[in-house]
Amino acid sequence: MSESSILIVHPDRKTQRVVQRILGATGYRVNIADDIEQAIRLIGHHAPVLVVVDGSVVLSDRAEAFFDAAEARGTEACMTLLGNMNADDVPKILMRGAVTNLLVHQMPTLAEELTITAHKLLRRDLFGLDKYLLWGVDPRTAELKQGSDRAALVEQVANDLRSAGQSPRVSSMAMLVTDELLSNAVHNAPVDANGNHFRRDWPRDQEVQLLPNETVKLRWACDARYVAIEVNDSFGSLDRKTILHALGKNDVRESGGGAGMGLALTYRSCDHLVFNLSPGRKTEIIALIDVRQSPTERLPASSYNVFVER
Amino acid sequence: MTSGNRFRIEERGPAHVALIGVIDENADLTPLPGMAQRGLLQLDLGGVTFINSLGVRDWIRLQAAAQAARVSLELCNVAEPIIHQLNMIIATRGTAKVTSFFAPYACDNCGREDSLIVDAVAHAATLERGQAPAMVCKECGAAMAFNDFPERYLAFLQRD
Repeated sequence: MSESSILIVHPDRKTQRVVQRILGATGYRVNIADDIEQAIRLIGHHAPVLVVVDGSVVLSDRAEAFFDAAEARGTEACMTLLGNMNADDVPKILMRGAVTNLLVHQMPTLAEELTITAHKLLRRDLFGLDKYLLWGVDPRTAELKQGSDRAALVEQVANDLRSAGQSPRVSSMAMLVTDELLSNAVHNAPVDANGNHFRRDWPRDQEVQLLPNETVKLRWACDARYVAIEVNDSFGSLDRKTILHALGKNDVRESGGGAGMGLALTYRSCDHLVFNLSPGRKTEIIALIDVRQSPTERLPASSYNVFVER
Repeated sequence: MTSGNRFRIEERGPAHVALIGVIDENADLTPLPGMAQRGLLQLDLGGVTFINSLGVRDWIRLQAAAQAARVSLELCNVAEPIIHQLNMIIATRGTAKVTSFFAPYACDNCGREDSLIVDAVAHAATLERGQAPAMVCKECGAAMAFNDFPERYLAFLQRD
């Protein structure tokens, strides 16, 4: 049996080296391909547990053949780097509906995102915002037991961030993220025994008393690099296809209880959005807002990861 | 006029009202078109502190209702949370005219960050060039820099 490995597919030699150094720290053998044909040949020999590809690979005509080959050889996940491509390519990548891990940032943020993403996948240890924060940070915790408490929790998060010296812009983004994720967990996550989202179309101004198994857990923290907001539900009903469709949405839903824009607005209001899915058991969404960068340094695109527990 | 206790509509004069607080599922915007006079309604949005996706949907419905009633909306003192939505979701812009808005500025000299009012009429020529007007720091008097990419923050002013 071949040694466990990671495959990098990127046309740029310098990026290859940078990514190789970062992922080499995982202890896995790292193979490199300059193009998709070479990558398909390498997959045949090495059966990588993880592939890291340039965005151009995803948009190429041979992408499907490549992803099929990787899947057939048991590859756990494929990470896509946007690299020097224009952020305008994000909608095109989302439309492909196949990219579960998109990392858009440049160094040094890329190194952090790559390392954490790789370790989560390789160790199969997905849950918790702690993985994205520096050691010693103590997240605050709250539980939502009825729908009308959402506003107070959103305000609590905002006040907490303001009193910690974060800018109005950051607290405003955190408010939107918290509100949308809590609302999603209260109204969209719950399913009955038949998998029906029974609360999805309830009017949002109607009070909802949550049963003990329906309560929503909220955690938040800031380590002076990121504001991290984590929302958990115990239904595990959110799936990869729904997420990838939702992230690229641009139109508001006219019918039903919700506007259908919650995840899209959350994605556009943070720098990195992480979905940890344990089907039928738990959904955890983590939004990271980078507080090191001023708005003029912030990219007009955000990273995302969809992890599914196996 | 209030909706819950987190949102209220205040009449400031004939066909001039202010929206204050949180625009979410509890904010009722439906009375607004009826407050217009001679086909015009001026909305002061300086007091809006937050808007979520349900508020965005109601805002789009307000724009549609105003158009159906042949009411022109004029938006003044548009708060940053609303600007972000106008930039993210094109449908929120409708046919409303923005006459002034808040924008983020930062002072390189003393580090102060402010949300400052920009008069979109007086600075129309500058804004049309995709540039933000110059501002001075209230604290140290130095020139302040626009604290976002103008092409990103001012996108809501484009009409195409």
